[in-house]
Amino acid sequence: MLRRDPLANPEPLIRRVYAYVAYRVGDGPDAEDLTSETFERALRYRKSYDPKKGEPVAWLLGIAKRCVDGRRPRMELASEYADEASPVDLEDEAVRRLTVARAVTTLDDRDRELIALRYGADLTARQIAELFGARTNAIEVALHRALGRLRATYGEEEGPAVRKREASR
Amino acid sequence: MRYWRRRHEPFDLEAELRGGRPEPTPDFVQKLEARVRENGRTRVGSLRVAFVGALTAVMLVALASVGGVGNASSAARDAAVSVTRVVSPTERVVVVLKKSAAIDQYKPKAKKKTKKVKKAKKGKGAKGKVRARTRPPFTG
Repeated sequence: MLRRDPLANPEPLIRRVYAYVAYRVGDGPDAEDLTSETFERALRYRKSYDPKKGEPVAWLLGIAKRCVDGRRPRMELASEYADEASPVDLEDEAVRRLTVARAVTTLDDRDRELIALRYGADLTARQIAELFGARTNAIEVALHRALGRLRATYGEEEGPAVRKREASR
Repeated sequence: MRYWRRRHEPFDLEAELRGGRPEPTPDFVQKLEARVRENGRTRVGSLRVAFVGALTAVMLVALASVGGVGNASSAARDAAVSVTRVVSPTERVVVVLKKSAAIDQYKPKAKKKTKKVKKAKKGKGAKGKVRARTRPPFTG
């Protein structure tokens, strides 16, 4: 019997997997490498995909999660946004996004993964729960707490940046 | 104005996280997509070949079960013979069956065999004498 091909429409899948990986390891070449590795593994094991167990994107994110977890630890963690230009020169919106992205990197692995799955890969709490083998309610609570911590970190990050911008005007 | 609005509007972190989602470069997406599609095409091609092979096998089995193979082969042979006759016609050779129940009615009549009676040679002893098949002489 012929099975449904999970990689029949790869473009949106690539974007979602990349967003997930980039939220976890930072935007850039590392995220691209891990996304490529994810799809290489997916191509190799595409026969093992079972539509009964979930959507193709959930299957791919499971592979991506293993790729990210199995990568070699870097010497310098959370330095992806260290080389950014001075916030004074950038538009407010871009500054805010960079600040949010930097705040995400300060979260612990678990919170970061939840944020990456929910807002990077755009999975629902239910899909994340299926991926983790947990209850939806538990994931919703964990996400709420992760957002609270992120909000607190963002406030700390944004304070000096705002002061800097105000001084320059 | 924009700055004022930003300062006074409630900050939506979730919208910010969705809006600021990291995007891959178009070049990267294009290359990876091509790689995935290329792999999928070869797989589809091999599947197609396998499907055609399986279908052919099923059709052959179905035909063989009703004697279609023999019928088809004899039809092909007849067609080949017909073509050969058309392309290179030869003199017709009428084959007459020799062993037939009806053949005796039409065969030419055979001549009656007459038995030749050899005449007895005269003289030179009994050795060369051949007696004619006649009745023995009346003695009584």
